[in-house]
Amino acid sequence: MDAHIQHKGIMTGKVDMKVVMLGQMACGKTSLVERFMHNHFSSNYQTTIGAAFGARIMDVAGKKVCIGLWDTAGSERYEAMGRIYYRDAMAAVVCYDITQPDTLARAKFWVTELNKNEENCKLYLCGTKLDLVEKDKEARRVDFQDVTDYGKEVGAKVIETSSKTGENVEELFAQIVQDFAESNAAIMASLKDSFPLTEDDKPRRKCC
Amino acid sequence: MAERSVVVGETSVAPTDIEGVISDELKDDTPGVSGEVMLVNTDSFDECNHDLDTQKVTTEEGEADEVVGEPQSPIRKVQREQDNDLVGNMGDMTVEDVVCKVEADNVPVIPQHNNDDDEDEDDVDEEYLQSVDWLQKEKHIFILSESGKPIYTRYGKEDRLVTLFGLMQALVSFVADSDDVIRCIVSGDHKFVFLVKSPLILVAVSHSMASIPQLFMQLTYVHNQIISVLTASALTRMFEKRRNYDFRHLLGGTERLLDNLLNMLDYHPSFLLGGVQCLPLATSIRETITQTIIQYCSKIKNLVFGLIICQNQLISLVRMKKFLLHPADLHLLFNLVNATESLKTSENWMPICLPKFDPNGYLYGHVSYLADDCEACLLLLSVDREQFFTLSEAKQKIVDRLRRHHCLEGINTAIRSSAYTVKAVGAPELRHFLYKSKTTAQFTCPQFTPPYDSDEEQRRVFGLYQLLHHRVHSAARPLKMIYLVMDTHTLLGWVTKDFELYAALEPLVTKQNAIVYINKLLRWIKNDENRLFILSSPTF
Repeated sequence: MDAHIQHKGIMTGKVDMKVVMLGQMACGKTSLVERFMHNHFSSNYQTTIGAAFGARIMDVAGKKVCIGLWDTAGSERYEAMGRIYYRDAMAAVVCYDITQPDTLARAKFWVTELNKNEENCKLYLCGTKLDLVEKDKEARRVDFQDVTDYGKEVGAKVIETSSKTGENVEELFAQIVQDFAESNAAIMASLKDSFPLTEDDKPRRKCC
Repeated sequence: MAERSVVVGETSVAPTDIEGVISDELKDDTPGVSGEVMLVNTDSFDECNHDLDTQKVTTEEGEADEVVGEPQSPIRKVQREQDNDLVGNMGDMTVEDVVCKVEADNVPVIPQHNNDDDEDEDDVDEEYLQSVDWLQKEKHIFILSESGKPIYTRYGKEDRLVTLFGLMQALVSFVADSDDVIRCIVSGDHKFVFLVKSPLILVAVSHSMASIPQLFMQLTYVHNQIISVLTASALTRMFEKRRNYDFRHLLGGTERLLDNLLNMLDYHPSFLLGGVQCLPLATSIRETITQTIIQYCSKIKNLVFGLIICQNQLISLVRMKKFLLHPADLHLLFNLVNATESLKTSENWMPICLPKFDPNGYLYGHVSYLADDCEACLLLLSVDREQFFTLSEAKQKIVDRLRRHHCLEGINTAIRSSAYTVKAVGAPELRHFLYKSKTTAQFTCPQFTPPYDSDEEQRRVFGLYQLLHHRVHSAARPLKMIYLVMDTHTLLGWVTKDFELYAALEPLVTKQNAIVYINKLLRWIKNDENRLFILSSPTF
């Protein structure tokens, strides 16, 4: 079966690439999404209920790729729903807070779960709140090297970001679409060419 | 505070007196009456209160069966009838999944409170109990598990009130030992009201004007809010498996909903009246909006309710033919949207349990604001949890059509300008009123104007409405009409089979004038009823 048609399942809609955000409550998933989607940061914390969906088009390898991003709730009562969000995802950004070691344990839980259920889903371990550590070295409670070692073991790339300053956020998603483009030549071939000279490069909220 | 002590000349007018005069003139022109019902209506407060408490499947035909086990579940009913392969067993899965998965002991740690500031575990309770500020709060709400574990406190941190929670649990179990249930304790100004709903205990401690039945109703709402997040069956099963379970794990993030609900309960008349306020809107605009929802949603299987709301007011509601929406469920939806600022920036997909619709299963809600330039929020509630993109597409079409027909502007204009003041009625000595149409479970009221321009005055008049409401609905001696003359207000409460009216008038108004004004008010509402109420009941 054509992979392109297959991955456009009922919970992926018209997007080219489904990406899911997972991780413990309050570890910064929504902030990361907000920085990526709207280039905005809010210090007011609000728990996500259920999940929020957003889409943005990114240019990669001369093509336009529409990323559909599922920002899931971290609260464990939604755990059972997790599956419907990560099913058929091409990439998962599993977040942990580098100042809270227990959030890494939760991230590992999601990594195991994904490796078990979604072979085709690429994993990205994302350490959040990098700005806190830059302010105060003592605040770091999760060692980058330890996570990288773990990442190698389970086949996940590791990156540390700050949604507050925006550091590494674009890089993270650029990496994700780059990897997607490299391993999904068939899909890429079917996508519209991008015309960088005439397109505005503002993030778009909706593409479908 | 004068009113509370000095109830001057509480004249008990023989009900027939005024009622005769008014209803003669009014005949059957009662405002806001409609045979087409979209919300579950309850005749009296007691009934409503009882109704809040018990689960019924209320269908359009009016058959109300007590739910006995699962086969009656409306969610399952929809799924069966829609006969859709995709849905399959989604309904049951959810609830069990929640329980089993959490049982699987990956119990993650909730973000810890800073432990630094409570080294002295023994002293911490004392700290609150000695804080005048804490003690003097008008209404405390506590939630604990049957085993006495703290779950929620409205003020302060629940884990610093362990002994107080222990005491509450002791009171409950002491009374339970003699096969009885504790309902309330009254001490001076303070009322301590208990709602024991296994596996939870809810307690209100209040010195506000709210009566004991009203506090009971408020606790029921709080309980419903918890059910709405977890479902009743998940809650029960969780507790059966682990009596000592710390529910805060599951409720993480719900505090905001509870806080917001409790604030609304303190000032919003919709809970007291058991009704819903509609955004006043020209019939033509509302009709277009409703038709648009029907046009793009009627072919979507499994969609149970589609509604547009803003600022705690209903703009339009379309329902699956067999089902009515209970106002109490609608209040929870209002609360959800009201309390969740973040819904504004994205399209959301969330499980929502409507306790009056089906306490044991989730509906899945596509929740999003209509547009960046329109404050109204669209909710599409389905029993199929894989339907996000179908609904997302429908939403886009709905918004496009509403924009073409200038309905978004219509809504915006209504949001800015449709609230009216009591001046519009043209009854000079009438200060404020609440009017509820009982058949449609909807109410209308003007904006507060002087003398009710401060928060304190608004709270006071709300307290007076609570008092009127309590007197009218007193279980021991229900009244048809009450006319109270106080030193700063004259109050009138009047209940008929079709409506409930509560009015605040100038203290020196004569009885005769009061009658004239009330008549005028009823005529005014009648004239505007199509704008103020939704008198039709559209279905998919």
